[in-house]
Amino acid sequence: MTALIELANVDKTYNQGQVNEVKALKGINLEIEAGSVVCLQGSSGSGKSTLLSIIGCVFPPTSGRAAIAGKQLSRLPDRFLTLHRRASIGFIFQRFNLLPELTVQDNITLPLMPLGVGPRERKERAARLMERLGIGHRAGFPARQISGGELQRVAIARALINDPPIILADEPTAHLDHALSLTFMEIMRELHRDGKTIILTSHDQLITGHPAVERLIGLSDGMLHVP
Amino acid sequence: MNGLSRQLNVIDYSLSSLWRRRFKSISVMVVFAAVIFLLASFQMTTKALTQAASRLLVMAPEITIQKMRAGRQEPIPVAYQKQLAGIFGIRRITPRVWGYYFNETHAANLTVIGVDPRLMPLGEKLASAIDTGRLPGDHEVVLGQGAEELLGGNRIISLFRPDLSLKPLTVVGRFRPATDLLTYDTLFLPPDDARDLFLLPPELATDLCVTVANPSEVDTIAKKIAALLPGTRVLTRGQIEKTYHAVFGWRSGFASVCLLTALTSFIIFAWDKASGLTPEERREIGILKIVGWQTADVILLRFWEGVIVALLSFVAGYTLAYVHVAFFDAGLFRPIMLGWSVLHPRLRLSPGVELSDVLLVLCLTVVPYLAATVVPAWRAAIIRADSALN
Repeated sequence: MTALIELANVDKTYNQGQVNEVKALKGINLEIEAGSVVCLQGSSGSGKSTLLSIIGCVFPPTSGRAAIAGKQLSRLPDRFLTLHRRASIGFIFQRFNLLPELTVQDNITLPLMPLGVGPRERKERAARLMERLGIGHRAGFPARQISGGELQRVAIARALINDPPIILADEPTAHLDHALSLTFMEIMRELHRDGKTIILTSHDQLITGHPAVERLIGLSDGMLHVP
Repeated sequence: MNGLSRQLNVIDYSLSSLWRRRFKSISVMVVFAAVIFLLASFQMTTKALTQAASRLLVMAPEITIQKMRAGRQEPIPVAYQKQLAGIFGIRRITPRVWGYYFNETHAANLTVIGVDPRLMPLGEKLASAIDTGRLPGDHEVVLGQGAEELLGGNRIISLFRPDLSLKPLTVVGRFRPATDLLTYDTLFLPPDDARDLFLLPPELATDLCVTVANPSEVDTIAKKIAALLPGTRVLTRGQIEKTYHAVFGWRSGFASVCLLTALTSFIIFAWDKASGLTPEERREIGILKIVGWQTADVILLRFWEGVIVALLSFVAGYTLAYVHVAFFDAGLFRPIMLGWSVLHPRLRLSPGVELSDVLLVLCLTVVPYLAATVVPAWRAAIIRADSALN
């Protein structure tokens, strides 16, 4: 398998040179193959979310080399990181990060709006995903009116609407009960079958021990270790 | 095509965003529309008044001669007509007697005009300015709308001469409301009756009205009259029209300066609101950026929000201003525009809307608002995408 994501000597320091400087990542070397399911495991403050953000092109590392599909991202300005992010990455957040006043369908199609995708195509693409995830009947509901499990699936649909090759999920089951967490992992397994590369962060044993997870990577104090 | 679709999508999102924050959006629009309403109302009122004045002054004499002493006007000898007989191009000279009659009961001044319409070139047109009745004969009078109301609508009125003796006059007509700007407080009567009312001797008049054969010669003839009659003031109709424009323009300009101050305050308020982000707005921008919106997309979103708010406010404000001037005769600003008086003319104003006027108000209001909201939007748009990560 070829490495889809390559990180070499990656450091990330927040507030560099200031009194409140924080070294979040220290000398990270990591390769993740295309089509794999990886779980980043670590306690709160270990650097999981920072690592996920660098892989997700949210911000570049302070030093080191980060590349996705052979494309060097470390020194790209914000504009190009955004372009790369919307083409390659789908994000699922711990608190879903949906806009509560928007309908389910409008939340899902948000990533398509700056791409100039017309309303009819947006609706069709959202409808397919909502049917697949079992939330088709909620299309016109404001996000604030639906349940936690449905919110999770709306967030997944939004992450998939651009059909990105990489799905990043930050503590995706932290606010779900056992049954909903299992459902979430089943959806991830399906996406894995579709060929998506999935990277999760979690310390939930239901996820870290789930058979769909192919590789566990431990993080502690900004450094990798074998869990 | 893709670029157009992107714009349409962002406009679509802007509309839904404004609707979600409808209380705030509508509040801003109401205040902004009110400022535009005031500014546009003044502009339209000024234009309508100057146009009305120009229309009505068509019937005014082309040249008016007044006698001056120590900078004040005094009665002019009617015999001056003979001195002007040699000026080529003068068609007719008509003595006019006019002045103010103070009505103590209502503490209001009425304008008394005594002129023989048969001696005026457009005298027959004066009859068309009368709504009901006819031109006055001896001991008869035609009243303006306001004067008629003030004098109680009686058929016979009695006015005090300066020696407090009474002069009875029979009311035989009333001027049309369309001429209110000039006739609202007017008593129009024959010159001899006006002289009698003011106890003015027959050889004197208030001024002399000159009509000329060729309108393009007015200025030349006016100069010749001024040279022949030192100690007189020679006014052309053009000068009187300019005076009206200057008076209304000055009042409108003064009011506009006051309103621009209000507009500036609003723009500063808009700047302040646009540059400060609520936690919800900050979170929304963070989410948009994390799902792939670029900084330029967020600025575009803010731009379209500003355009929608500004244009809706502009249309509402300008339409209200038109309705206010056209259907309510600029009731809010009449005292300011027409000056202090007990009798305010109730003339119908017809605002003519020209593209240049619309663009002027647009440039004074919408453009500064957009600048005030879009520039700080950049500060909001550069929020890091991870600010929404939690």
